[in-house]
Amino acid sequence: MKTVILRRILLLLPMLLAISFLSFALMSKSPGNYLDTLKLNPQMSQAKIDKMTVEFGLDKKWYVRYGLWLRNAAKLNFGESFHYKQPVWDVITARAWNTFILSSVSLVLTWGIAIPLGVLAAINRGSLFDKVTSFLAFMSLSFPNLFLALLALFFAYITGWLPVGGMRSVDHELMTSGEQFFDILHHLVLPVFVLCFSGVAGLMRLMRGTFLENMRADYVTTARAKGMPEGQVMFKHVLRNAINPMVTLFGFSVAGLLSGAVIVENVLGFPGLGQLALEAFFAKDEFLVMASILMASFLLIMGNLLADILLVAVDPRIRYE
Amino acid sequence: MRLWSVIAGKSGMHLGIFLFTGLALLVSNCGKRAAREPFVDRNPPVQDADVAPDPVGHYGGVFKDNSTSDPKTFNPIMAEETSSTQILGFIFSGLTRLNPKTQKVEPALAKSWEVAADQKTWTFHLRQGVRWNDGQPFTADDVLFTFNEIIYNPKVINGVIDLLQVDGKNFKVEKIDDFTVRITTPDVYAPFLIFIGTDILPKHKLKKAVDAGVFESTWSVSTDPKEIVGTGPYKIMKFYSGQRTVLERNPYYWRVDTAGKRLPYIDHIIFSVVSDANAMLLRFLAGESDMYGVRPEEVAMVRDIQVKRKDFEVVDRGPSTSRSFFWFNLNPGKNKNTGAPFVPSQKLAWFSNVKFRQAVAHAVNKQGIIDTIMLGQAAPLHSMEGEASKWYNPAIKKYEYDLERSRALLVEAGFTFKDSKLLDEKGNVVSFTIFSNKGNNTREQMGLIVVEDLKKLGMAVDFRLIDFNALVQKISDTYDYDCIMLGLTSGAPDPASGLSVYMSNGRMHQWYPRQPKPATPWEAEIDVLMQSQLKTLDETKRKQMFDRVQLIMTEQMPYIYLVTPRTYVAYRSKIKNIDFPPQGSEQWNFDSWYMEDVQ
Repeated sequence: MKTVILRRILLLLPMLLAISFLSFALMSKSPGNYLDTLKLNPQMSQAKIDKMTVEFGLDKKWYVRYGLWLRNAAKLNFGESFHYKQPVWDVITARAWNTFILSSVSLVLTWGIAIPLGVLAAINRGSLFDKVTSFLAFMSLSFPNLFLALLALFFAYITGWLPVGGMRSVDHELMTSGEQFFDILHHLVLPVFVLCFSGVAGLMRLMRGTFLENMRADYVTTARAKGMPEGQVMFKHVLRNAINPMVTLFGFSVAGLLSGAVIVENVLGFPGLGQLALEAFFAKDEFLVMASILMASFLLIMGNLLADILLVAVDPRIRYE
Repeated sequence: MRLWSVIAGKSGMHLGIFLFTGLALLVSNCGKRAAREPFVDRNPPVQDADVAPDPVGHYGGVFKDNSTSDPKTFNPIMAEETSSTQILGFIFSGLTRLNPKTQKVEPALAKSWEVAADQKTWTFHLRQGVRWNDGQPFTADDVLFTFNEIIYNPKVINGVIDLLQVDGKNFKVEKIDDFTVRITTPDVYAPFLIFIGTDILPKHKLKKAVDAGVFESTWSVSTDPKEIVGTGPYKIMKFYSGQRTVLERNPYYWRVDTAGKRLPYIDHIIFSVVSDANAMLLRFLAGESDMYGVRPEEVAMVRDIQVKRKDFEVVDRGPSTSRSFFWFNLNPGKNKNTGAPFVPSQKLAWFSNVKFRQAVAHAVNKQGIIDTIMLGQAAPLHSMEGEASKWYNPAIKKYEYDLERSRALLVEAGFTFKDSKLLDEKGNVVSFTIFSNKGNNTREQMGLIVVEDLKKLGMAVDFRLIDFNALVQKISDTYDYDCIMLGLTSGAPDPASGLSVYMSNGRMHQWYPRQPKPATPWEAEIDVLMQSQLKTLDETKRKQMFDRVQLIMTEQMPYIYLVTPRTYVAYRSKIKNIDFPPQGSEQWNFDSWYMEDVQ
């Protein structure tokens, strides 16, 4: 087990290297650079554009720039954002916490709702409950997130019960800490709802499927024949077997914790990393894009590792040698 | 039965959490606003305070505004885009300022000035008793520091310097005494008073950074807001990345109302980041922002709501500063690597023919674009200069939609029509491609209409959408295109800001940029006019010259203009003293605004 973990961590480095190389190459090879927007500004002088080109190193060949970036990255210096004129990690960490709050709350809620619902639907297959949840699930799956986010905004506006986007009230600073806590919760309702709405549907259907599959397995018949109580059959045996593929999925969702939900963040004005990365990407703020990609990849790899470790914990049949 | 209870117990817990959260949220909605104490002015009055002419209001209130993205820097010299400058405009002030209402230069940190008989030596008398927002006195040293050590510092790359030079030579900025500054320009410089109004920075805060050579990265958005020191009506209270910037009043501000009360009236300004335009509208309607630029397609809806609610106003501010146009590539150069011309010679021959360009201008149905795409909320565009500007020349040539006139012009230019196709003298079919950038719906539709219009003249026109960055490369680096359609915002306060567009060696002279020498007689004439209008302080003479430039531009039609959307602004009725200028920022007299509902 330990060697497996060690090996995975050792593999992390070449993997990140390859990812960084590919993203840098693709970004540099696509037309244009950060200065393009400035070039269309009549008030911007040629001298200033030339100076900035040299200052940002944009006059050099892309592989030279990649080499320089790599050398600095090896010293854990990931460069400065062109736009913000600050180290990229400062820019990212300012947003990371927001994204983390949003993602973790919706992650917990999504899983907490989807797994029991899926199990219930599977056990009571064909019942009214199953039909209603299936209907709701298919409906939410066919609902684009963008549209749902807009509807949610509209709902907030019509009823006035919830804030129209954002993460904190305008007068957040003037509140007591208790009020501030509830203020953030208040603002989380809409984005969490939108994120959960589609997340729950997919997961629930998946859980229901794998659970049903396992309910038909021979060991269930055996257990029932031995007179094992139904609750024990379902939750001690079927659930533990059915949860395996979900654990792998869980690993992936952990990776999503910090990559943010671009659409929801943009429409609901949530100050997360997705919004930041998208803006950086369009502005060709290279180092900021690189840092976001690296962070997302790192989390994805770590999330995978976590899923593998969890699998060992829940399934005694799985052992790494 | 047992099964159910087990499950109910499990999911019931989640349900419980969910309900609890919901309940807590509803409760939290009540009693949120902490009472704020009204502002009491405890600082000594400014000796030379500037008196704002607007009606007297009262203190208090919060003005909530939106911006599409975060400010990128709090350093006014380094700020490049509106999300930063929009905020910094409240924090800093300069020696002079341009009043967009009268389009005249007014005193700001300088209470008065005179110019010597040589028209090059200016003497500025600074206001006495002005303080920075940290309480330090403002003196001539700050002015000298800003010009000599920052703007004219060769190590500080900045965009301000270009407006404060004549023929590449710096102004001489000298101190006469603590409150008198003499500025000498190398030659007569017409827009001097406008551009000398650049933001003045505090020597006591920035001297160290400048000496250490790190000025460019000081005052970033992560700097402690207390360090950002200016003389504007507000100061930065707090910045939350991706969320908002909160400003609070500068208790040392140097303007007062007619009753002698120190401005500004409104306690706080909050800029929230809202990147989605639909969300911006909803936030305005829900009362979470106080001002909103209504998009043309929303005007009818917003007006309907306004009639029912009456708590806000919708104002038509007339044609905006955003302009859509297209131009043909007139660049006769060749690609250095391949030797291939940027534009094939037969195409260049068409495009260079002024009658061809005029014919195209007559063929564009601007009213059609306005009616179908802009839902009537736009105006036809005839020139780069806005009609609201005092520099606008009403005598320019306007091109009405007239296909007969177009055909006649094309025949005059030697083109022939055959089987509903347009042929040139050598029998080539006239065909070309218009490029534009992806992602702008309105422009995409405009392009399609223009293509249809030009097809009526027998031209085979292709409309292609490419990536924005790729488009900019074509415009400024590779020059390999026939025709480009673009939209730009230009609300230039002075003809001098159009130099890079009008001058034939200009970077923004898009149809053929950076010419070694003027390619045509009319471009040569514009060069001379643009240069000489810079060298006189007589505004009537300048206007005459600039009128002539505008006339030449519309006779030669290097740019073929489309439309300009009208701007509509919605704002809360409780805000008083709002005074919309014909063009420019609606918040220009923000320090006099007050909220009727706070006492």
